[in-house]
Amino acid sequence: MTISGTPAVILRYHHEQDREQFEDLFGKDFTIHPFRSDQAALDYLSQTSGSDMATRASNLTAIFVLSPHPDNYRESALLSEARDQHPHLLKILLGQAIELDLLVSLLDQQLIDRCFEQPANPDLVRSHVLMASLTHREAPHTRTKEPAGGAHMPAVLIVDDEPAATKYLSRQLELLQDEFRVICAQSAEEALRCVQDEAGAVAVVMTDQRMPGMHGKELLSELKQSHPTIVRILTSAWGEVDVALGAVNEGQIFRYRQKPWQAQELLRLFRTALVHHRQLVAQRDYSRTHADQQFAELRQQRYGRLLTRLSSLNERTISESEIAAFLDLLLTIQTLPANSSHLRASRETTLEQQLEQDFGHLVHQQLEALEPGGLSHVTRQDIESSFAAVTNNEPGSAPTADTPLARLCQSLTTLLAASGLHTSQIRISHSGNMLAITTDSPLRMYSHLLAPLTRISRPLLEQQCALFMVYASTRLLGGHVDASGGEQSFRLTLNFPSRHRAA
Amino acid sequence: MVGQRKIRLYVTVGQRMLRDSLLFQLLLNDDVELVGESETGVDTLNRLSATRPGVLLIEENLQDNDGLTIAESALSLQPSLSVLLISDTPVSTGRLAIYLEAGIKAVVSKHQPVQELMKTLLYIRNGQVYVSARNTAADDTPTALAAYRALSGREREVAHLMAGRVPVRDIAEQLGVSCKTVHSYKDRIFVKLGFERLPELILFMHRHQHGATS
Repeated sequence: MTISGTPAVILRYHHEQDREQFEDLFGKDFTIHPFRSDQAALDYLSQTSGSDMATRASNLTAIFVLSPHPDNYRESALLSEARDQHPHLLKILLGQAIELDLLVSLLDQQLIDRCFEQPANPDLVRSHVLMASLTHREAPHTRTKEPAGGAHMPAVLIVDDEPAATKYLSRQLELLQDEFRVICAQSAEEALRCVQDEAGAVAVVMTDQRMPGMHGKELLSELKQSHPTIVRILTSAWGEVDVALGAVNEGQIFRYRQKPWQAQELLRLFRTALVHHRQLVAQRDYSRTHADQQFAELRQQRYGRLLTRLSSLNERTISESEIAAFLDLLLTIQTLPANSSHLRASRETTLEQQLEQDFGHLVHQQLEALEPGGLSHVTRQDIESSFAAVTNNEPGSAPTADTPLARLCQSLTTLLAASGLHTSQIRISHSGNMLAITTDSPLRMYSHLLAPLTRISRPLLEQQCALFMVYASTRLLGGHVDASGGEQSFRLTLNFPSRHRAA
Repeated sequence: MVGQRKIRLYVTVGQRMLRDSLLFQLLLNDDVELVGESETGVDTLNRLSATRPGVLLIEENLQDNDGLTIAESALSLQPSLSVLLISDTPVSTGRLAIYLEAGIKAVVSKHQPVQELMKTLLYIRNGQVYVSARNTAADDTPTALAAYRALSGREREVAHLMAGRVPVRDIAEQLGVSCKTVHSYKDRIFVKLGFERLPELILFMHRHQHGATS
């Protein structure tokens, strides 16, 4: 699959002048295939791509219809062909003036994905196409689960600041069917609370545009971000075409309905919307499970490579079982789940190699610099003065003598800084003949060597190396590490034999 | 046209001077409301729920943590957040795809003009993804230069004097026109060159002394 290179677009135009203007604006960004007739464009579509896979291989990203009479595209064979045979193509209509009822009709038949009135902002048009060429547009997932009944009955949320209208409609809809519940909210803010409270039950939101406070379009934009599987429908009595266009292009709404509402018509619409919702949920679940499984494999491979690499570095300082203990701690630290960006970074870039190399290199450097031996026992005083030395050390100046204790304190300071904590949060305590170092609050870790990664950064490497060096230096000092992972965090206790009591 | 809501902006930039410079520029726009700033990623996450920003402007490379990792965590806490990532170096197409799939709305590199950052911020304010043209965005001077060459002789003359910080009154006197006329020249020059304030014009004239006068 191509992710670099120039996206190709089909341009169906009517006047030479329009084509020239389009080529002036986008010639540098897209490879343009211009056609003067629907038939020529259709022929091109069918010959370049017997299948959708071929469409993607040729980097064909969008089809533009640039027409002085957009109304002629109400029943377009070209756009239907693109919709049915090339679901990954972005269908964009550019017209001098777009009538609202045309937009509604095109949306109902899913004949367009974006629509602009001329003169359109070229920055935005370009951005939509580049975005589509860069990221996967997932094909609709056909295997959907049967609608769950009972307690999990889906809900349609109707948002309008006129309670009389919604109440009447919801009663009618409740009488007509028993496939979904109808909930009403009187403002966008209340709607957002409903969506929260209903915890996943809201499948469709139909909102009026003009309301006090947050407008309908903004509500739908927010829901698109926070709950992408909720199907979004905008409705208005005002017929503002610019609002509708904005909602299509920015909010990617499913449908637009003009008021007044007809219960029977809306019933059909909501049924279609619920089918679409189930597809979206199935798609999301599939890509989550898929990403989890794929990443689990990648992680296992990474674990193996890191274990081999680290074990080969310095056997006298740290044993293979210590290294495994370190890696196993990382496995207990939960980070955000994997998604397609992580899979892509691991597979299509040098990330995996670079991680092993850069981390191995950094650990090697620090292990080599360590002066083994020295203290056989650790006292509270030693630790405190060692921390003081780290704190007083000017950043960038020559490091203090690299004894295991100095390295330990240096590494702990790095871990504290990455957690937004300070060395004053270090606690040293005695129990029997043991001395324990721990921190007041858990240490933070948002990402680690075995987590899904999008890039290798210096802070990540330094934090991981610091944790590794805590293991290595604690062992050199005759101690052992107790650690447990949590949600993007971990707790650390370092135990050392102490001569404090004996003295 | 429906009035846009203000952009609730949070800025996470490590170095104070860079952060200040960006903020001075961004806050000139009436639509921008600053709700918080941090120099570290941990601090950003700690203050996210209290400040509830709409847009997070964050550097890719922070002192304490990786900026992208912090952005991903912020998005999981507040999915409606729009993240604008500032990278140290221009980002390749392949990497950009990864960032967009991670939920980042736009990436602007430190090599691009600050106007590009402002434009991007306005485009992503409602949760839109914005990908700029790869071939032109890195350097907008050709367009500005072309626009400058398209100015009338009088407009160029006024532009020169303004860039030399000559007061409007003196320009009027020198050219033998009214102050009102000079003001209308000034407005036209700014619109044509796409500038909003005098420093932009001064900088432009300074950088293109030769190109602009030829």
